[in-house]
Amino acid sequence: MSLLQIKGLTKQFGGLTAVNQVDISIRPKSITAIIGPNGAGKTTLFNLITGIYKPDKGSISLAGTSLLNRKPNQIAGLGIARTFQNIRLFKEMTALENILVGMHNHLTSNLFGTLFRLPRVRLEEQNAAKHAYQLLETVHLADKCNELSKNLSYGEQRRLEIARALATKPKILFLDEPAAGMNPKETKELTDLITQIRNDFDLTIILIEHDMKLVMKISEEIIVLDYGQRIASGNPDEIRTNPRVIEAYLGKGAVS
Amino acid sequence: MSHIFTALPQVLVDGLTLGAIYAVVALGYTMVYGILELINFAHGEVFMTGAFIGTGLLLSLGMFGIDMPAWITLILILIMTALLTGLLGIGIERLAYRPLRKAPKLIPLISAIGISFILQDLVRFVAEMKTGNYIVTGTTLFEGKFTIPFSSIIGSFQNATIKTNTIILIGITIVIMILLDIFVNRTKWGTAMRAVAQDQETASLMSINVNKVISLTFFIGSAIGGATGFLFAQQYATIDPYIGFILGLKAFTAAVLGGIGNIRGAMFGGLMLGVLEVFAAANLSTLTGGVLGSEYKDVFAFAILILVLIFKPEGLFGKSVKEKV
Amino acid sequence: MIRMDKWIDTFQKNRTSQFIVLGLFILVSSASVYFLERSVTAFLLLLGSLLLLHYTHLTNRTKWIVGLLLLVVIIPLATSGGTSQQDYMEVAVQTGIYVAMALGLNIVVGFAGLLDLGFVAFFAIGAYTYGIFASPQATQLFHSDFFPLAGTWFWPFILIGGFMAAIFGILLGIPVLRVKGDYLAIVTLGFGEIIRIVFNNMDKPVNITNGAQGLSQIQQPEIFGFTFSLASQFYYIVIVILLVIIIGVQRLEHSKLGRSWKAIREDEIAAQSMGIPLVKTKLWAFALGASFSGMMGVVFSAKNMFVDPSSFTLIESITILVMVILGGMGSIPGVILGAAVISVLNLQILTEVTNFLTQNISIPDTLSPTKMQRLIFGVILVLIAVYRPKGLITAKAKQYDPAKLAEQPISDK
Repeated sequence: MSLLQIKGLTKQFGGLTAVNQVDISIRPKSITAIIGPNGAGKTTLFNLITGIYKPDKGSISLAGTSLLNRKPNQIAGLGIARTFQNIRLFKEMTALENILVGMHNHLTSNLFGTLFRLPRVRLEEQNAAKHAYQLLETVHLADKCNELSKNLSYGEQRRLEIARALATKPKILFLDEPAAGMNPKETKELTDLITQIRNDFDLTIILIEHDMKLVMKISEEIIVLDYGQRIASGNPDEIRTNPRVIEAYLGKGAVS
Repeated sequence: MSHIFTALPQVLVDGLTLGAIYAVVALGYTMVYGILELINFAHGEVFMTGAFIGTGLLLSLGMFGIDMPAWITLILILIMTALLTGLLGIGIERLAYRPLRKAPKLIPLISAIGISFILQDLVRFVAEMKTGNYIVTGTTLFEGKFTIPFSSIIGSFQNATIKTNTIILIGITIVIMILLDIFVNRTKWGTAMRAVAQDQETASLMSINVNKVISLTFFIGSAIGGATGFLFAQQYATIDPYIGFILGLKAFTAAVLGGIGNIRGAMFGGLMLGVLEVFAAANLSTLTGGVLGSEYKDVFAFAILILVLIFKPEGLFGKSVKEKV
Repeated sequence: MIRMDKWIDTFQKNRTSQFIVLGLFILVSSASVYFLERSVTAFLLLLGSLLLLHYTHLTNRTKWIVGLLLLVVIIPLATSGGTSQQDYMEVAVQTGIYVAMALGLNIVVGFAGLLDLGFVAFFAIGAYTYGIFASPQATQLFHSDFFPLAGTWFWPFILIGGFMAAIFGILLGIPVLRVKGDYLAIVTLGFGEIIRIVFNNMDKPVNITNGAQGLSQIQQPEIFGFTFSLASQFYYIVIVILLVIIIGVQRLEHSKLGRSWKAIREDEIAAQSMGIPLVKTKLWAFALGASFSGMMGVVFSAKNMFVDPSSFTLIESITILVMVILGGMGSIPGVILGAAVISVLNLQILTEVTNFLTQNISIPDTLSPTKMQRLIFGVILVLIAVYRPKGLITAKAKQYDPAKLAEQPISDK
């Protein structure tokens, strides 16, 4: 039984086919890595799934519900959360507020309740702040709760983005190059964090990553894209020895 | 209804005149937007300042009793006006936009509005000091008028009249547009400009001086805008410090219509908007059975702007650009 | 020097001493307003005490009490000393109207980051909503003895005017909000002009707005047989509406909706990915911002007993924008300050300086400061944009107490 089912997904930009007839099936509670050379269509794939781009062809469904023709916010509501390759935090908001924004779909207050500050709304706000704080603790940022997110260090910003995504209570978490720009120590901590949140939050995780050590260590399944096509998939050992993958990374002739 | 058809030649002449002005002013918007992705709100005011500088120069020539053939005066004033407004454009960029290149997009827009207001008031101030009134009526260099015998082409057409000034205006704006097109597409600086518009960082790595190119863009856009201001003053005789704002807005509409950042598109958009507007002003009342009069011609132009921005924001000739995620 | 520092330091921490100094300041400035005949300086100092209050470290509760006391009792009382009470109150009423509008625009520009250059249109909607029904214009339209509405209708019309403006905000917003970023500024500017031109020409084919002549003989507010006609009486209407608006925006700022606005301002794509619906959230900003303007539009037309399209030009929209930018986008105290500074500058200082200059040295009329409004606004906009883009009082993020956050959430079931 697969949680996310993608069939024949295709996206063209002008003459370039960024994603070409891609089929993917993701098991619940798995960690899947999507790898491939630069420009292989990995981020485009994420953008198609999260509704930022509209696919030209193909289908995407989450637990049987089609994600086609839905807006990004509706897709988020169905249980898909993501981080971004170039960090897209709300810069002029504090770490805690960033997380509170992530809780959007789980807060019920309406305009009337807000303007009259009903007890129900006040309680909900207090509890939301406490939950947000717990999420900050998970990513080791509790002491930075009142800090504007633009003032956090690079690694902290990446972790805050993960916590913000977790706040939407997703079924699947998409991480777009979570370790980019991190030093080896930070990458090691991140590796542990990803495994930990998978277990603690009962999550399915799909990540794009160039750091092969991280990929090989945590993923149960690896999908390789090249020129928009899926050229291989399998467990880390199978991928390591797959001749097409080596060719894609090192060029033709590298294998023979 | 039939007079809509019979009056068409005059509508076409007046529309193309107005359209030529929109087109050249639109070029200034489009060039700056192409390079900085910034709506240079103050551009309409540069046009207005050009109208005043040109008219001022003409009036002072008259005062000193300098007598030259009209066409030499015209060319001299156009060049002077273009130089001065070009420098004004460079100054505006230095003062109000360059310090803000890294700021959120809202901020340069705000300083642009500020510059607009400063220019309006400074021009009002000078005009009032010199003439006692901020509404200025200049002298006309060319008085003549012609009749184009459209009726001899198709019998039911009425003849159209055209002023010598109008012929000059259309002629000069066409020359400006052709020269600019050649400059941008055929010369080294034009290539540099297009390179900076594509990608500032890469262009600077190719040892293009980005700041210089931006200054040059402002200079050219403002110079031709200012010169057109003088032609406008010659055509319509009366100017005031507030003509730039609405005209600028319409020229911007023209730029959007043609696909912002697209130079040939801006030219076409200007001409099209001019003709549409004059047509609307002449015929709205007839077409709507008297419900909407010619007062709604500005509404008509804004409506076009809004419709284009909503349904075809890339314009008629632009390419749609996806935001990088 | 060191001792001085120490003294300042203690003062900054000591609430009682701050309270005393503030009290003295209020006492002196209100006494001078009371006894001096038409002293703008004294009046400004008195208004300045509100700013001083903002900067004290008194508890929020004390600040509210002192602030209310100042607005409701001290200011009206202090200005009642001389013959120019109505002049002062006129300024205060106008300022209050502008503060409300600036707070409305702040939701759109400051919180949601949408540059709206046609904001005055919503003020016009409010003004015309009341103006049409409470003037003889309505009799022409409906041929009924029921119209013009009596002054008692003013009260529900505050809400109706706000509601109408909100509806128009949504109607304009639905198409406009599909437009991105700086294009939005141009489109809203166009819409503002369209509304004005339409009001200017809606005297035919059916006479709805009476065109350029405007609407006159608009009914003054009335309650239990008492008619509001003087500025000092309208003052209280404005203060009440303003207080409601201030409390409203304060509550909105740190609510789910307020955070969604800021998230959209910071990054639309990320906000959407967090589940925030873009159009709906922006429409709320448009509607709520517009409603403040609409309410004050009703007050404006009732107070002047007259409206015409010339009150709703582009320069008015820009004036409100200048207030928001000067004060600090997204900062409620900042925007209040910005609106107060600009209105007092426009209504009093420029006129006073002009009078002073023309009486003492003869200057050409062209140079008179009242005419240089655009120049002054322009300079303010450029200076703020280049040197202080966050305005006079920078918006502050809400600070949470980590100790409280670490507690277990209370179950609400």
